[in-house]
Amino acid sequence: MQANTAKVKPGRLHIIIVGCGKVGHTLTEQLVREGHDVTIVDVSERVIRDTAEVYDVMGIRGNGASLNVLMEAGLKEADLIIAVTGSDELNLLCCTIAKKAGGELAAIARVRNPDYAEELPYLRQQLGLSMIINPELEAAREIARLLSRPQALTVSAFAKGHAELVRFKIPSGNVLCGRSIMQLDNLFRFGYLVCAVERDGSVSIPSGSFVLHEGDDITILASSHDVHCIFDSIGMRGQAVKSCMIIGGGKSSYYLAKQLLEQKLEVKIIESNRQRCEELSTLLPEALVICGDGGDEELLKEEGIGSAEAFVPLTGLDEENILLTLYAKRIPGLKTITKINRITFNDVIDGLELGSVVYPKYITSEAIIAYVRARQNSIGSNVETLYHMFDNRVEAIEFHVKKDAPVCGVPLMQLRKKDHLLIACINRGGRIIFPRGQDAIMEGDSVIIVTTHTGFGDISDILR
Amino acid sequence: MNTKSITYILGWILKIEAAFMSLPILTALIYGEEQGWTFVLVMALCLLCGALLTGRKPKNPSFYAREAFVATALGWIVMSAFGCIPFVLTGEIPRFIDALFETVSGFTTTGASIMPDVEIMSHCSMIWRCFTHWIGGMGVLVFLLAVLPMVGGSNMHLMKAESPGPSVGKLVPKVRFTAQILYRLYIVLTVAEFVFLLLGKMDPYEALCTAFGTAGTGGFGVKNSSIGGYSPYIQWVVTVFMILFGVNFNVYFLLLMCKFRDAFHCEEMRWYLTVIAAATLLIFANAYDAALTVENNLRIAAFQVASIITTTGYSTADFQLWPEFSKTILVMLMFVGACAGSTGGGLKVSRFVIAAKSLRAYLVSFLHPRAVHKVKFEGKSVEEDTLRAVQLYFVTVIFIVAASVLLVSLDNFDLITTFTAVTATFNNIGPGLNGVGPTSNFAAFGDLSKCVMIFDMLAGRLEIFPLLMLLYPPLWRESISESRRRKRRRASAMGTDA
Repeated sequence: MQANTAKVKPGRLHIIIVGCGKVGHTLTEQLVREGHDVTIVDVSERVIRDTAEVYDVMGIRGNGASLNVLMEAGLKEADLIIAVTGSDELNLLCCTIAKKAGGELAAIARVRNPDYAEELPYLRQQLGLSMIINPELEAAREIARLLSRPQALTVSAFAKGHAELVRFKIPSGNVLCGRSIMQLDNLFRFGYLVCAVERDGSVSIPSGSFVLHEGDDITILASSHDVHCIFDSIGMRGQAVKSCMIIGGGKSSYYLAKQLLEQKLEVKIIESNRQRCEELSTLLPEALVICGDGGDEELLKEEGIGSAEAFVPLTGLDEENILLTLYAKRIPGLKTITKINRITFNDVIDGLELGSVVYPKYITSEAIIAYVRARQNSIGSNVETLYHMFDNRVEAIEFHVKKDAPVCGVPLMQLRKKDHLLIACINRGGRIIFPRGQDAIMEGDSVIIVTTHTGFGDISDILR
Repeated sequence: MNTKSITYILGWILKIEAAFMSLPILTALIYGEEQGWTFVLVMALCLLCGALLTGRKPKNPSFYAREAFVATALGWIVMSAFGCIPFVLTGEIPRFIDALFETVSGFTTTGASIMPDVEIMSHCSMIWRCFTHWIGGMGVLVFLLAVLPMVGGSNMHLMKAESPGPSVGKLVPKVRFTAQILYRLYIVLTVAEFVFLLLGKMDPYEALCTAFGTAGTGGFGVKNSSIGGYSPYIQWVVTVFMILFGVNFNVYFLLLMCKFRDAFHCEEMRWYLTVIAAATLLIFANAYDAALTVENNLRIAAFQVASIITTTGYSTADFQLWPEFSKTILVMLMFVGACAGSTGGGLKVSRFVIAAKSLRAYLVSFLHPRAVHKVKFEGKSVEEDTLRAVQLYFVTVIFIVAASVLLVSLDNFDLITTFTAVTATFNNIGPGLNGVGPTSNFAAFGDLSKCVMIFDMLAGRLEIFPLLMLLYPPLWRESISESRRRKRRRASAMGTDA
């Protein structure tokens, strides 16, 4: 087997994924597509068989925290273990055992229970884990970010929050309609970059002569404090949301409510289980907890959905969330955010025009893939963040540039870059630079690349 | 059904067959034989057809179990049909049906021949005849998976359809590397045997042919007397290597990974070796010939047992003359076959072990009706699906063998000849008893019987179901109506666009 590895891409990692639920499945799909050797471990024979039939992976049935099972899954040769079973404790145990028994291996565990939420950095350090992921918390963060920019469909943060990538649909009669990208300079008096435009289902990285139309899905990168100026300049004025109605009282609702309360928002949670209501009320004394069925139209009206500013259905059922959003969309001016856990009919969901949609499983897998790519090529640069946009057709990647990177110090106009690729911005010590031809990438910068290529793992991949 | 993907795979099979034909061409060059031109011609034909079929990569990557089954079955038929053309063109086997029988017998590693005298064959045809064993042994689709990086789809279905055994697993996470490892092991073992044969002062050409025949557990001999004419050393080497090629290749992979304990704990291999040892001892005692030395007697018994259980079909003695008890043991061994995941045929040792264990579980359920008794194999409990597949396999074998015996009996041979001919072809062994014994051949059968046996050989090699799938009318009915519907939909979509 050692002979094989020499033949293929040097960075092919051997990855063990323990637990093959929603997140495990998404991870398997993405990591196999990136060309890694994936072994999945699950207690259910059926899950193993179904997954191994669709993806080119090896399946091992058994308890992922058992050393024997892990050995059978090739722990000795593994580079990375990702524990994403339903139980936090099992995930942590599994990673701990793997770290002790395996060689040079990195471990990533999913821990979702709010009880541990405060202690994650401590756990991570003490157990020697590379990463702890909490999809519910990440989803809540993304929702909170969207609530502060209600005009945007999605908001992705780069450069430790210094830069943001916002996506929105151009409404009819907007000043942007009929303007070319070049003419936008008259509108925006600050650094910005139009990264991608989706029209009629096809995505392009627009050139200067590209003319925008109404209904285009446009993605703009700007420094965080300039983002609101974009919306101001094109007449899409909108205040950050001040109050929010959350349906369902699960983990993500808790995380979201906690975060919103810290930002001094008014939070109303509707949850049907009495006991859970009491728990939430204890944990979040400032929130208004309503015990009732969130799927009941009368109750929603009574609780003032007609005058609410934001509406976030976070029930465990995707179908219910979608239906609630469709209902809430009939109320003008109400910002809705839909969380979708499981459903995979992307085309249908896009067709429903739900507005902002958050997929916790993708948030998690993007973070892990960013980590894996960074581990794969840690010579010249590190992948800091990665976002998939427009159904994986466009990737926005942030690289941290190290000393030996071949792009350092060369003016951008002299780089032999690949096509379909933008060097969107450079973060130099917290200052966001939108580079021109004579600018150069320096050591220590973090560079954001937007591209329709997939699988970039190093800054040198932008070169031909 | 995704017909485009299937034809694409067929095209690649033809291209690979063309590549494999360079070996007989090389042989013809060395020996200066003009028959080589026919191989050049057929190679060009294969390349042309292959290029036509693989011209465009199919856009729709969906590839499920049924596509894999159909592609595998059709692939083997197409491969055999093209592979037999040289024999017809050189005139060495003038009739097409005979040439097809010989080639299918080669690819399926059966080794049943219709040639009364093999020693008159040209070197290049002979090496092609033996090389088909080697290609068929590990399987051409496994080779395809090893060399061609196929994107999307679940290629594991292809591997499952071609590899023998009740449950086919991977060695490493990727199908492609699993296939590469298998072929690497296969090549290393073949070369090892070749070297050992050379050390026994065997002619290099004959050593190569014999190594191919053993590796694929095929059994085409270079000599009319099979291996009987060679030195005791060579006979022992062939015996050992036949047994080695009948072992599950997973064991070699475990050895390679230095997991010796796991390798020697392989339950199937233990049973396989036990059966070989028991059968050898029984035949040694029963067919003991006082005129020969003890070593000679043991060698003959061991060679024949190894040859039959691994479904190779070489012979060093005319076992037709043995006592009935020994002959019966041999016929039973024909059904047992080698290990799953080896190059051998037959029903596979693992199926017998699983069947015996499920029988015991069934008996336990009479004794203690509420007892929960999971069948375990290789230290793991066997899933219900696998159990059912194993049981169904036995039933299907009975149906097919019975139907084949009935059809072949039209040729009016005695029952032993008819039955062992079907058994020997279905289990990919080669020689049977009486009329198809080790000194006879299959030339006497009529065309219908030959067709039936061609089917049996393919069914035996591909483990029945891919071939049955091909003959299952609803598959074709569904795919025809599916393509019609798609055409109609496309037409109506065009209509609305206009």
